[in-house]
Amino acid sequence: MTFLTVLAALLKIVLIVGVAFNLAAVLTWAERRQSAMMQDRFGPNRASFSLFGKEFRLAGLVHLPADGLKLIFKEDFVPQNGDKLLHALAPMLSLFAPLVLMAVVPFGDVLCMDQLKNGHLWDAVERFGTCTGAAGPKSLPAIPMQIFESNNGILYVFALSGLGIVGATLAGWSSDNKFSILGGLRAASQLVSYEVAMGVSLVGAMMVYGTLRIDEMARWQGEHVWGIFVQPLGFLLFWAASLAESKRTPFDMPEGESEIVAGHLVEYSGMKFGMFYFGEYLEIVVSSALLVSLYLGSYNLPFLHRDGITIAFGDAIWHKTLPHLLVVVVQVGTFFGKLALMCWFQLFFRWTLPRFRYDQVMRFGWRMLLPATLVNLFLTGVVVLAIDRAGEAFADRLGLVADGVNLLLGALMVFAVVRLVIGFAMPTNRAPRPGANDAPQTA
Amino acid sequence: MPTIKLDGREIPFEKGDTIIRAAWRQGLEIPHYCWHPGLSVAANCRMCLVEIERPGGRQMMLDVLNWDAEKGDYVPSKKPKLEPACQVECLENMNVKSESSAFVSDARKHVQEYLLLNHPVDCPICDQAGECKLQDYWLQSQRAPKRMHDEIVHKPKGVSFGPTIVYDAERCIVCTRCVRFMDEIAKDPVLDKRERGNLGEIVLSPGRQLEGKYTMMVDHVCPVGALTTKDFRFKSRVWFLRKVETVCPGCATGCNAWLDYDPRTGEVPRLRPRDNQAVNQFWMCDDGILTHKRVQSGRVVTATVGRGKDRKAVTPSAALKAAAELLKGAKSVGAVLSAQRSTEDNFTLAHIAKTFLGVGELHLASLGTWDGDAILRDADQNPNTRGATLAAGGAVHPIGELTEPVVGGQVGVVVALGGPVDLDDVTAGALGRAKLIVFSDAETALTKMADVVLPIASWAEQDGSFVNRQGTEQKFVAGPKPIGDALPGWDALVRLAKQAGHPLDWKRIKDVRKAMGGAAARPSTQPTAPEAPPAE
Amino acid sequence: MPLPLEGPVQYDRVKGTKISKPGRNAVQQAYVKDIADGLAITMHHFFKNTKEMIRGTRPDAVNDPMEDGVTTLEYPFQKRPYPERFRGVHRLTHRADGSPRCVACLCCSTACPAQCIYIEAGEYPEGDKKRGYEKYPVKFVIDELRCIFCGFCVEACPCDAIRMDTGMHPQPYDSRDQFVFGKSLLMSFVSADGEQQSENPRREPGEKGFAGITRLGQHH
Repeated sequence: MTFLTVLAALLKIVLIVGVAFNLAAVLTWAERRQSAMMQDRFGPNRASFSLFGKEFRLAGLVHLPADGLKLIFKEDFVPQNGDKLLHALAPMLSLFAPLVLMAVVPFGDVLCMDQLKNGHLWDAVERFGTCTGAAGPKSLPAIPMQIFESNNGILYVFALSGLGIVGATLAGWSSDNKFSILGGLRAASQLVSYEVAMGVSLVGAMMVYGTLRIDEMARWQGEHVWGIFVQPLGFLLFWAASLAESKRTPFDMPEGESEIVAGHLVEYSGMKFGMFYFGEYLEIVVSSALLVSLYLGSYNLPFLHRDGITIAFGDAIWHKTLPHLLVVVVQVGTFFGKLALMCWFQLFFRWTLPRFRYDQVMRFGWRMLLPATLVNLFLTGVVVLAIDRAGEAFADRLGLVADGVNLLLGALMVFAVVRLVIGFAMPTNRAPRPGANDAPQTA
Repeated sequence: MPTIKLDGREIPFEKGDTIIRAAWRQGLEIPHYCWHPGLSVAANCRMCLVEIERPGGRQMMLDVLNWDAEKGDYVPSKKPKLEPACQVECLENMNVKSESSAFVSDARKHVQEYLLLNHPVDCPICDQAGECKLQDYWLQSQRAPKRMHDEIVHKPKGVSFGPTIVYDAERCIVCTRCVRFMDEIAKDPVLDKRERGNLGEIVLSPGRQLEGKYTMMVDHVCPVGALTTKDFRFKSRVWFLRKVETVCPGCATGCNAWLDYDPRTGEVPRLRPRDNQAVNQFWMCDDGILTHKRVQSGRVVTATVGRGKDRKAVTPSAALKAAAELLKGAKSVGAVLSAQRSTEDNFTLAHIAKTFLGVGELHLASLGTWDGDAILRDADQNPNTRGATLAAGGAVHPIGELTEPVVGGQVGVVVALGGPVDLDDVTAGALGRAKLIVFSDAETALTKMADVVLPIASWAEQDGSFVNRQGTEQKFVAGPKPIGDALPGWDALVRLAKQAGHPLDWKRIKDVRKAMGGAAARPSTQPTAPEAPPAE
Repeated sequence: MPLPLEGPVQYDRVKGTKISKPGRNAVQQAYVKDIADGLAITMHHFFKNTKEMIRGTRPDAVNDPMEDGVTTLEYPFQKRPYPERFRGVHRLTHRADGSPRCVACLCCSTACPAQCIYIEAGEYPEGDKKRGYEKYPVKFVIDELRCIFCGFCVEACPCDAIRMDTGMHPQPYDSRDQFVFGKSLLMSFVSADGEQQSENPRREPGEKGFAGITRLGQHH
């Protein structure tokens, strides 16, 4: 434990907290603006500030500080017979739980400090090296791009995501309001139910990757293929469960205008409400981060490895070494890019899917999702066992398939970018409206 | 009685009647402008032309050419000579065709067009619009736009004829009703006609103005909007007004009148004469017409208690309570009737005074005399001197005779009905010593020194009756709602009696009239049956 | 169709297409395809609208409100064009000399079903050439809160003195008496074209070039 590692840890904490908080804040804007675009309307665009006599609206981003200021200066209301301590504790817990989850999420491969120290800034490192340098007394440690290198990373996730339940339940209890307690109970039962399915759905991934460490999982995906291709069913099940965990629209049982008003949030105002609200968006960030880390290749791009780009189909076809610092920067950028894209994609669900009824949610959780995860677990076990028994030759052939998948994936990504650019450049094709060519009505 | 036939109807007539008058007596109208039942015949408007078949005689026929559409040429035909109904005297079994003759309708149409030829048709800004004969007969007989496209003849407009009347020569049809009225009724031939045809107009005698006691009547005899009073000019439109039967409170003659009031605001912008052959025939004097101003100005609006500086406005019930307190504490009470108030009000006060308050002698407050004349105006300015005397059930003493008992201390509290009243200084000084309870519609000398003032409705705002100098009891009907906190006079007095603890349960004017007995049982307003016009 | 007094009521047989119930196999029950379809629709709108917003090619909200895309009307800044005969706040038209055309005939307040017009007529002063010919409104008050904007006053006016062609809504105020518009305020309004007068010409009393005979021209 040197001064360098402590400094690096602090820097990583600042980076992750900064990104998570800012991403969550931007999500509050994105959700409103994005849903507006989906529904053919403007969305927030009125808040503005003036600078040098000009008015700036920044596409509605000014609403963010405006909303924040409003929440801060609003009256902090506590019900007369409510539990004041728990009433204050509940929003803290619901904000705290998703935040600490980000600690175990790796956002890049290791940074080999030795490499930098020796002045080989533009040299590549070995692809399969340990990156510990000369291991002499003067050598510097390799710094993992992860705040907390836990041996049981996934279990840590399970343990702390359960804490969010406590926040919602406490909020319901301490508000001294029937709607609140009903909302709190609904939240508790829903979260507990889906916690089970979420846990079991991940076991399949653990079996494939052979580890509990999330950084190891990420590395496995870089060497082989993204998790979504080896665990497609597990991916969908985990996604569904994490959607339910975030208490958002298809699963927003704890709230419901016509049933229990705002549920456990009824008696919250000002910044305490703001913390709940913020916690919800943090949960989106965290669940997106987990989805990216476990199933979508984490910080990996196809063919980009620690030493550079290696396009291979069984044997290497094309190889190019890249400087270590560049690779690390690309990897970190890739992770945060994927994270933002996944958050953006998750917002679509709320504005596309209709809401469940409460009994449907429970039935879905226990009678559909949980059996499905068990089936996934069983199938995965059988397949993993079969591959282990199949021998080297079959493993090579599987490697070929993985390379093919990676080739396809790379091509798909290039295609998506090109399609996006072309689509943006093309003018909108409007069908002529009947009567559009008639003479204008006002002479 | 001899009869004539008008459109197939048998109509009786008296000897000397013209056709139009015989019809008028039956309530039938033959369209006319210049004829007026109270004035001499001029026969200059030609509107009343009718077809007359005399018994046994030949009808006078004219040769005319009529367009025949079938032949496409004019063909000679006959047409009766039409005669003015206002000029031709009735003969037994004469057959007159008015509405039933196509020739007559045709004639009316053309006379009407001729009269409107140079008319400016400025109805929107004309005060007569809505009660104008030109409008009525246009709708009835003409119903076509005028065919002349030339500029009309321009004549003087907005000419002031005097302090009361404005003349518009363009609207004038020169029927000379106003000339004849000033000549025959007002006996002041100040108006005359000059020029002929489309240049004709009414003018004043050189160096004279239209002035005197009977000027505003010319507005009411004028069938069009040529003569308008300055008093009513531009004040309202006639279709906003509602009318009720009333009696002029200006003098003891008791001229019958229409009270025109605006139901939206409660204002009374004018009084119009109402025909009653027994009283005023068709006429009213200027002062009588202007009594409508009493409804709005100089009124007592709120009840007050206290004198001088201590006077403050209170609710009517609080004032009644204070008045009842005064009456309870009084050893002896005086009561003052008013010759300006209705018989019912006076009877109620007299009844209360004699029955409950032990008043022996009733006194009467009234206005003094003014310049009466032989036409309509009576020297007595009070409309109901006789009625108040009758209501008192015997002799009443002038208010001046109340001085002694008040000064002597025999009378401590005086209850007075107050319309406009003349008080001399001595009486006023004496009454000032007593406690004074005044029920009044107008601010008067009495209300100024009263201890308790209660607002009551003016004659226009309540039902009641006046007994005129001939002894005719004439009822009048409430028009607008009483202003402010005012109540009908008799109602306020009954409430005072109740407040003082006396048993009196008159709830409606009917109850008062029932208690009055014989006086009220008589038929009130004389029927407006027409009689012979006044001898000239 | 009269109902029969006895027996069951006979209705026409309802005709329609039979819709089969959705299948209940695992793939259908997972709703993966349906979710994907839904996402495709919302994403299509999202990408199209975002592109149009960024490129500034969204449809004209004022004139093409029924077009696909973001057609929100930003109301106080954008307004739909009103029909030509839209009845807005009243105005009193002017004569050439700036005095009101109104002659206080009270036709408008007579026609008004809401009784929201109050006029006090006055006479032009001595020496004015309009004296005797016309009167003018000393007070002309319209209670815009009572007004039901039926336009009867405009129809009733014989002088084209009151018009509702300002194109203005009655605006919100703080208190009720601010809605009671007086003569000077009503005369300060202009038509949608910025006119204070009216297109219909008018000849003033005694104007030169007046056709026809006058008293002065006659020999008598």
